[in-house]
Amino acid sequence: MSGTGAGPDPGADEPASAPELSGQFLRDLLRSVRGVFAVVDAQNWQPILETARFFELFPPDPAEPDGPLGARIEGMDADRAADRVARRRPYSVDVEVSVGPRTLSLTVAFHAADLAGRPVVIIEATDMTKAKETEYMLDSYSRMAEKNARELQREKERAERLLLNIMPRAVFEEMKDFGSVSPQRFDQATILMLDFVDFTEMTVSRHPGELVSELNDIFSAFDRIVELFGCERMKTIGDAYMAVSGLPEANDEHAQAIARVALRMRRYLQKRNESRLEPWLGRIGIHSGPVVGSIVGVQKYVYDIFGPGVNMAARLEAFADPMQIVVSSATYDRISDEFTCRELGEHPIKGFGTQSLYSLESEWKHRR
Amino acid sequence: MPQSIYERHGGFATVRKVVSDFYDRALSSEVLAPYFARTSMRTLVDHQTKFVSFLLGGPASYNDDHLQRIHARMGITLPAFDEMVLTMLETLEDHDFTKGEVAAVEHELRSRQSLIVTA
Repeated sequence: MSGTGAGPDPGADEPASAPELSGQFLRDLLRSVRGVFAVVDAQNWQPILETARFFELFPPDPAEPDGPLGARIEGMDADRAADRVARRRPYSVDVEVSVGPRTLSLTVAFHAADLAGRPVVIIEATDMTKAKETEYMLDSYSRMAEKNARELQREKERAERLLLNIMPRAVFEEMKDFGSVSPQRFDQATILMLDFVDFTEMTVSRHPGELVSELNDIFSAFDRIVELFGCERMKTIGDAYMAVSGLPEANDEHAQAIARVALRMRRYLQKRNESRLEPWLGRIGIHSGPVVGSIVGVQKYVYDIFGPGVNMAARLEAFADPMQIVVSSATYDRISDEFTCRELGEHPIKGFGTQSLYSLESEWKHRR
Repeated sequence: MPQSIYERHGGFATVRKVVSDFYDRALSSEVLAPYFARTSMRTLVDHQTKFVSFLLGGPASYNDDHLQRIHARMGITLPAFDEMVLTMLETLEDHDFTKGEVAAVEHELRSRQSLIVTA
């Protein structure tokens, strides 16, 4: 024999073969691995081997210790499992198993196999507990989040309704989209101012609750009239009510719209007064002219309009007799074709010199 | 409005880890586990998710009546309550909540002791 050392190691003469798995080794292996699996006879589902962990999670019924293994897995459909395995189709079932205080969530899968010519079923359980916990947690969280979202939505709608009380919708939309509202000049607008004769005396002579409730009724009715003719209620200050037409959306018929509002307001008060001892007597002033509209204030903001036109309307309202609607010549020029107005002559109006004034009586088409 | 602990820690992305960890610790505790023996996993996870979110100022709310009602029949003892508080505080510590935050949560828990402990 050459002893060059180049030849193969004498100890490796035969190719290394896998060692024979002894029965003892297999038993030890099944006891020690953490895997949850078993092999059963496909005919009678009697266990051929199972890991200790499988036995622990799916113990046999003490009353029937030699029953088929399938009976030990609660929730599994034995017929369906046998049928699927016979057709070599997949089958698995989700089960929950209690181990002490814990509940484990397992997916048990069944596969057909062949053990030395004998058909067998390999049953393997995968621990899905953490995934289930996460799934349940997400369910819980999404329900909480959805509930919160619904509450927020309701809150948002409530805030919107409140804001729509203090500003026109178009202005509100601008504020929502851009976070601010830029002051805007409206050249074509008509302003209506109304207040009540002797309101100050009424506040001391009447019960405050009753007074406020009546004022609330009247202003609510005015709001509906204003809305009916596409005008905007700007604000109320005490017993004064201010409405405008021509903004924020332009309206070619702004003067006519406000004239109709004024007539309806007066009609409403007349009707109301007929059935009451103490009448509410309104005075109305109307003027057409340019105004500037803007949000004013930071914390307690409100949408308001400014300009000499606003002052003019207020002066005309103060000039009016009870239940009279006084319009300026600027408004008269716009409405005289459609409305009956009575000339009141020229009168000095503080801050505006001498003005030709008119009393609005009725609308041509609908004489009242 | 000041941020809640829940928001400071990145909302549910972080809080879910606390929920998961607290759930494991509660079930590993010999004192606490028996209280959960008859509760399904889904209910328990749901309860713990809301509970932790609520404690940290997240999107869950319990008023005192509600808390009292759901704990009334559980027969919770003072040692069990103490164990729950300790478990929660340790969980928060291990998830890098500050001493101040842990103390705030302890205060929240302790202030409701009389609603929870009935045995």
